[in-house]
Amino acid sequence: MVPALLGSFLAMMSTGVPVAISMAGSALVYILLTGDLPPFVVVHRMISGIDSFPLLAVPFFIMAGNLMNNAGITNRIYNFALSLVGWLRGGLGHVNILGSVIFAGMSGTAIADAAGLGTIEIKAMKDHGYDMEFSVGVTAASATLGPIIPPSLPFVIYAMMANVSVGQLFLAGILPGVVLAILMMLTVAWFAHKHKWGGDIRFEWRRVSKAVIELGVVIAFPLVMWGAIKLGLAFNLALVLGFVLLFVADWRFRFDAVMPIMTPVLLIGGMTTGVFTPTEGAIAACVWALILGLVWYRTMTWRMLVKVAMDTIETTSTVMFIVAAASIFGWLLTATRVTDMVAMWTLSFTHTPWVFLLLANALMLFVGCFLEPTAAILILVPVLMPVIQQLGIDPVHFGLIMVLNLMIGLLHPPMGMVLFVLARVANLSIERTTMAILPWLVPLLLSLALITYVPQISLWLPHALGY
Amino acid sequence: MNGAAESAAPVIDESGHFHAEDAPIELSHYTIEDWISFAFFWALALTVFYQFFTRYVINDSAAWTEEIARYLLICTVFIGIAATTRRSRHIQVDFLYRLVPQRAGRVIATVVDGVRIAFFAYMSVLTWQMMGKMGNYRMTLIDLPMNAVYAVCGIGFVLAAIRSLQVMIENARRGYSVLERPEILIDETL
Repeated sequence: MVPALLGSFLAMMSTGVPVAISMAGSALVYILLTGDLPPFVVVHRMISGIDSFPLLAVPFFIMAGNLMNNAGITNRIYNFALSLVGWLRGGLGHVNILGSVIFAGMSGTAIADAAGLGTIEIKAMKDHGYDMEFSVGVTAASATLGPIIPPSLPFVIYAMMANVSVGQLFLAGILPGVVLAILMMLTVAWFAHKHKWGGDIRFEWRRVSKAVIELGVVIAFPLVMWGAIKLGLAFNLALVLGFVLLFVADWRFRFDAVMPIMTPVLLIGGMTTGVFTPTEGAIAACVWALILGLVWYRTMTWRMLVKVAMDTIETTSTVMFIVAAASIFGWLLTATRVTDMVAMWTLSFTHTPWVFLLLANALMLFVGCFLEPTAAILILVPVLMPVIQQLGIDPVHFGLIMVLNLMIGLLHPPMGMVLFVLARVANLSIERTTMAILPWLVPLLLSLALITYVPQISLWLPHALGY
Repeated sequence: MNGAAESAAPVIDESGHFHAEDAPIELSHYTIEDWISFAFFWALALTVFYQFFTRYVINDSAAWTEEIARYLLICTVFIGIAATTRRSRHIQVDFLYRLVPQRAGRVIATVVDGVRIAFFAYMSVLTWQMMGKMGNYRMTLIDLPMNAVYAVCGIGFVLAAIRSLQVMIENARRGYSVLERPEILIDETL
């Protein structure tokens, strides 16, 4: 009856039945055919599949991202990026990448990222005379940064499926994100050199140094707090004093982006020092974004808050519906020993981790072209995890490889989903969009190779911080 | 939610500053299941915030908050499934429709619409059966029947079944579904 389970699943999914229904539906088919279990088990298993405390983080991570994604905050972050790198040759290309680094993973899905931020980025670049191909390429490539640099929804889902700590995965994402950003900025520099582009704003010491100072404040804040607590200042007192100082400084010096950039810093700082759990961290990030939007900058209206909540519910429901369905489907895959068979079959022709990683990369790139990343994680992790354990590959490292692959898959010609979205946003044909994205696969695949075969890039930081 | 593309003014002004603007906010297209889910969501947000607050400020987290939060999340999601069904926003693979001729695509998409209705309808029945079997179970910390949560899930499935029937009729009327023309979903996002 195993072929019925897998066959009906693949048939449904490839014809366009929603992924969640394909999973739960094929489980129903299997249970009805075997008659071993009463069919209502499917419902029960689905509901208990999302009845978990760690999953409470999901809606609030999504909401924190949606709260930051409004013009008031977007403008601040882009102004900061413009001050810092806008004067370089090919300025807006660099701004595009830096903007994505800061916005990284705050929003729900890469597709929403490409549509939302991509629209502004491409418009700005068009205004400044960049050709469409370059604008689309850099926007597509930088969209992959989102889920690699924490906080990120795919990491939360992977952590749950692979049973690793969210904080550790978040930390592991930082350096690979930096590697990706550097390689992409080098690509921008190469394009700028080739086409003899200049900067997009005038170089002014004042403006650059202000941006550098803002960056310094963001980095110094958690360090000073940590130091003060180490020196014996009471935790709550340090926290209150620190925030009062921060708001006074922000009011006095009119920082562009210190407060928004502080969101991920506080979140990751709090999670790695164990001050809060991922769920609490997500809630804290939402509260922070609400304070900024409704009270401090006053750029958010109540109507916007309603819209943000509705968008959050939509993304949460679509993702959690698959999580629920994956819990019955994954359980059946294990119970019918499909996962064991896949592991044995894989191990029958390779016992070398690097060969396996190569094959796994190819598989995940392929799957990433068709499937939303979170859906792909929910399907692939239960199948691949036994092999990873057998081969002694660190599941945190593998998580990074997987998420990066799935992100590249989103824009990989000929059928990645971001490719179609950007073709629509930029009003380009699929063929021209494909050609536009092609050169950007060089830095992306290069960093994929680096991150796959140099595990230290991912694992050094979490190990250094004691995970 | 940024509507920069529509406005003619440059995104970056002369002094080199970004001036993107938010698109106008439209709330009138939300329907009953959106608002029910919305209520559950804010109840969830307040509960989790209350837990956060009691743990950090009062140093004594209320144990019931965790349990109620988990149930509120389930309710938000299962009612939200009906809302995402109505808007055809579920995650699905539409690649096949780029390969097959348009008429074959219409046939397959209609079958998919049928599968969706059958699934949600059958899940509604199964939820009802489950509630019959598990009638006596209580929540762990709070003295309420688990069936209260299951009933909300059941209502979610019933609503989703009705909405998927509506979507099928709508697709038949206009002659295509989002599977055949995924660009209509992208345009909604922009």
